Amino acid sequence: MRRLPVYLLIDTSGSMRGEPIESVKVGLETMVSSLRQDPFALESVNISIITFDRDVKQVLPLTPLDELQLPQITTPDSGPTHTGEALRLLCERIDEEVKRSAPDHKGDWMPLLFLMTDGKPSDSKLYREMIPEIKKRRFAGIIACAAGMNAKTEPLKELTDEVYSLDTVDSTSFKKFFKWVSDSIGVGNRSLGATDDLLLPPPPPEVNVII
Amino acid sequence: MKREHRLSGRRPGEVARVNEAVRKLDKAMELSGVPERDKQPFLEWVIKELWDKFKEERMEKRLRIENEIRQLGIRFPNGTVNEDYSVSFSLPSEKISNVTLEGVEEIGLLFTQEENGQYLLMGRPSKAGDYILRLRYDTSVGEPTSELIIPVAFNPNPRDLWRDIPTDRNIPYYKEDSELDYIKVESGPDGLPKKDVVAASRRGRSHAQEGKARDDHYGICHCKDSDWYILAVADGAGSAKYSRKGSEVACGAVVEHCRNRLLDNVAFESAISEYASDRENKEKRTEVTRHIIEIIYKGAMKAHEAVKNVAQANGEVKLKDFATTLMFAICKRYDFGWFIASFWVGDGAMCIFDEKNKTVKLLGTPDEGEYSGQTRFLTMPEIFRDPEAVSKRLRMAIVPDFTALFLMTDGVSDPMFETEKNLNDYHKWEEFYEKLIAGFPEDEIGGVVLSDDNEESKEQLLRWLDFWSPGNHDDRTIAILY
Repeated sequence: MRRLPVYLLIDTSGSMRGEPIESVKVGLETMVSSLRQDPFALESVNISIITFDRDVKQVLPLTPLDELQLPQITTPDSGPTHTGEALRLLCERIDEEVKRSAPDHKGDWMPLLFLMTDGKPSDSKLYREMIPEIKKRRFAGIIACAAGMNAKTEPLKELTDEVYSLDTVDSTSFKKFFKWVSDSIGVGNRSLGATDDLLLPPPPPEVNVII
Repeated sequence: MKREHRLSGRRPGEVARVNEAVRKLDKAMELSGVPERDKQPFLEWVIKELWDKFKEERMEKRLRIENEIRQLGIRFPNGTVNEDYSVSFSLPSEKISNVTLEGVEEIGLLFTQEENGQYLLMGRPSKAGDYILRLRYDTSVGEPTSELIIPVAFNPNPRDLWRDIPTDRNIPYYKEDSELDYIKVESGPDGLPKKDVVAASRRGRSHAQEGKARDDHYGICHCKDSDWYILAVADGAGSAKYSRKGSEVACGAVVEHCRNRLLDNVAFESAISEYASDRENKEKRTEVTRHIIEIIYKGAMKAHEAVKNVAQANGEVKLKDFATTLMFAICKRYDFGWFIASFWVGDGAMCIFDEKNKTVKLLGTPDEGEYSGQTRFLTMPEIFRDPEAVSKRLRMAIVPDFTALFLMTDGVSDPMFETEKNLNDYHKWEEFYEKLIAGFPEDEIGGVVLSDDNEESKEQLLRWLDFWSPGNHDDRTIAILY
């Protein structure tokens, strides 16, 4: 069956510790249960979660939505934010997990990427090097979210035109953000084909559009 | 007196035994040199010390068992509402007691202990949702009950979630959510039955879910005067704003063009007859090809231009917004057999299926990209730029007879064939034909009776197109000449 791969890259650096990461978890739960109400998503969406702080981990390998159970997500006390390393792992996992078309099997739908960070890449050199690699992978859409006042939007703008920001990193904001993510996945499902631009639903008031 | 009183309820033999034990304890303390006055506090001290140690060991045992059970990594896979669910796991049952799984009854599941430490959770979950189940057990009397949290989700059946929202009639280029047609061709002077055409198109569930219009279209025609059949099928691109109009215009334009060109086309008819009687003759073949370019290639060009004109008339939108695929074929029966010519851009499938001779002839190659859903469209100008590439999209065939000529959009071919390799496999087409005839009894969807002059087959076909296939909910369109 053709899958819609959705990769979530989540910043778990020390600054996310406490309420922010707990809010992200609640947001993820909301997203999953909302997607489970969408018949198309239920049959095609596959989700993977990669967390990044000092270490970069794929805490959830690409898993069909109906089989998915959210993994443990932990944060260290402090340390750098290895966003570039996360993009490197992402490329590796995509090459491994996402199927391209071949005469004897159908390819997956073009993958979607959501990246959420509350800071900036500590490994900015690697981050810049990975951007062309990401573009080569031909995502149907890349949506980046700068969460909180300390998040830098400039590096994200190099990655994608779809950059959004959250003023606060509380559970209301994340809940709204991930609800919007799940709505976007719904749209992503259906808009694959002719146009190159992903049609995103309008973001909620908590999510600001960065131009 | 007090002791007498306490023991008064016991049998005489038992009283004697207790008195004996007390005497021994007293003797042991004396032998160890415990003075009389210290005996009571000493006994209290001993008991307290041992009691604490006992409690500590009991707690350690509980933690050890809890850890052991945690290490088992018991996980329950998610299930689907109203579908059989069963999961079994083992626990060190010799070390624990009173094992329960809290939260199962409200979901409609049954938890039982089997032999050899096996436990079974089974039943048909009645309610969808995310649940936290609590596996509770006792390790020792007096210790708090231990608990292990096991999350599980029961998904709704996707089939129950689809909605059918009618398309708003006020949108630009509105079209009906489904369409069906049957062309009954009466027998000729020879009294032999002639092939008929049936076609149906229905909006996919993914569109119905959002009240969006059908993007597919078909056009079919039997030219009374020339006896040519014309069949066209087009799939408007999923996200192109007005692709529903693109597919409609493309089908209409191509049918119109072919019909006009095939009317009284004596030169083409004689070129076909000439070639049919001398198929090794290259010149005669070239002559037919020349006509095919006029009719088929120009037809595709006309369709492209017709879509472009509609886009231009609607000033603010681009041709891309009308993106559509297109496949079409013209066919006619001669004494020597059937002559078929076709053009195909995009995905889907078009083929001549011959059950008697067990052959299948795919009339082209589907355009597919690296990922699913990527294809080429009639509306891409580059389609017509390279003459060699265009010629690959044209096909010509002469066959003695056939069971059916199929034209279908990827909404049908993807779930039925999945891959390009399968599209070239006769057995897959045989399976497809069987499904078409037999329907899907398990889903209460009937088959299509493809017998001569069966006008009801159009309703049967439209109903058949509603078949279930996970992940495949695109618009579905099929045209059959049989």
